Amino acid sequence: MSNATFCNELTALLPRLRRFARGLTRDAADADDLCQSTLERALKARQQWEEGTRLDAWIYRIMRNQWFDEIRSRGRRAHTFVHEDEGMTVGTAGDIDAENRVELGNVDRALSRLPDEQREAVVLVLVEGFAYKEAAEIIGIPQGTLTSRLGRGREALLKALGETA
Amino acid sequence: MSVTREELTAFADGELSPEDAARVEAAIAMDAELSRQLIAERRLRAALKRQLDPILDEPVPDALHGLLAQAAAQEVDKEATGAPSGEPAQLLDFAAARQRRKLAEKQAAKKARVPMFSNPRLGFALAASLVLGLMLGTQFHSEGLVIAPSGGGLRATGKLASGLDEQLASANPSGNLRILTSFRRQGGDFCRVFDGGGIAGLACKDRNGWVLERTIASRKVATGEYRQAGSAEADLMAVAQDMARGDPLDPDQERAAKAAGWLGSTK
Repeated sequence: MSNATFCNELTALLPRLRRFARGLTRDAADADDLCQSTLERALKARQQWEEGTRLDAWIYRIMRNQWFDEIRSRGRRAHTFVHEDEGMTVGTAGDIDAENRVELGNVDRALSRLPDEQREAVVLVLVEGFAYKEAAEIIGIPQGTLTSRLGRGREALLKALGETA
Repeated sequence: MSVTREELTAFADGELSPEDAARVEAAIAMDAELSRQLIAERRLRAALKRQLDPILDEPVPDALHGLLAQAAAQEVDKEATGAPSGEPAQLLDFAAARQRRKLAEKQAAKKARVPMFSNPRLGFALAASLVLGLMLGTQFHSEGLVIAPSGGGLRATGKLASGLDEQLASANPSGNLRILTSFRRQGGDFCRVFDGGGIAGLACKDRNGWVLERTIASRKVATGEYRQAGSAEADLMAVAQDMARGDPLDPDQERAAKAAGWLGSTK
């Protein structure tokens, strides 16, 4: 693959990368910084990508590694401080939308409260649409570990949505 | 046959074999509790997508596009010149990216202030400030410039040669070539400092074309709309100043030189 094609394909992936970054970081500025450092790393490590394998999975792996390095260096593990009110700052002018908005706020809050590892599993499978096997490879863990993180994250979210599992 | 929680979620995630999926589906159809659980799973997925999918429709920040456009172009230059790529001294981690964003924000805030080279020689300082002015808001284009080895040195060909022939330093840059300044060196040859596509240099005209006296892989730092002169450009301007006989050409002198085919020493 030529360099131009490689860069074009990365360009096409940018919207998805930004979504994944937002899912991981839960913060718009962090997400953009993460995208930036991920692209730089990917361009630098281009030779390590094997043609014929999925480029998206490759760069997702770079992204999540960068993010977990970052949170480790911040000395923050598995907890994101979220203010009680966050996510509840929904418009008051809601009628039909109100239920949806509250639900969105609840999901957002619950997602932020998940341990980072569980949130990563949830986002990769339920939002980014990777198969268990692919998600496990991106994270670099056995599939059983992936499904157990996913299961725990999912139960916590269902609870937040007012659903019981 | 009972269906476990894991089987139900795996079914919702499309992870079961066709046989298992059929079995779970049949069980769900006969069990209100299982079917409620499946609906809850689907609602969860839909809620998460509603939360994060809108990001797909947001405009992607220019800095990210710029990074890739620059990388695509740099490689072209590397292939064309055989020179090592102008690898910016980037720190490849998150903290560096954050720092750079903050720097870019700061620079954007004082965008109106145009930095000057510290050199006291007015002519070159003016040329340099003109360059900086032109760089504001210019977009990077990914056309390659070509440099071919010839005899003892490198000679400009292709777009670079035609750009050196035709582009005026006082004009807006076209494509990814910018002319920083034009001057005459000792002996009378016309020389020009240029920057384009990952390589910057100083070229002097002889009867056969443009000989590249210096080339430097140029560092292009795209900070949003604002591009700061890289150190390569400052170095080249210093070299130009040492080589120059007198001040850089003013726009009229430059136009006259262009009209004369940049043949200085023979005139």
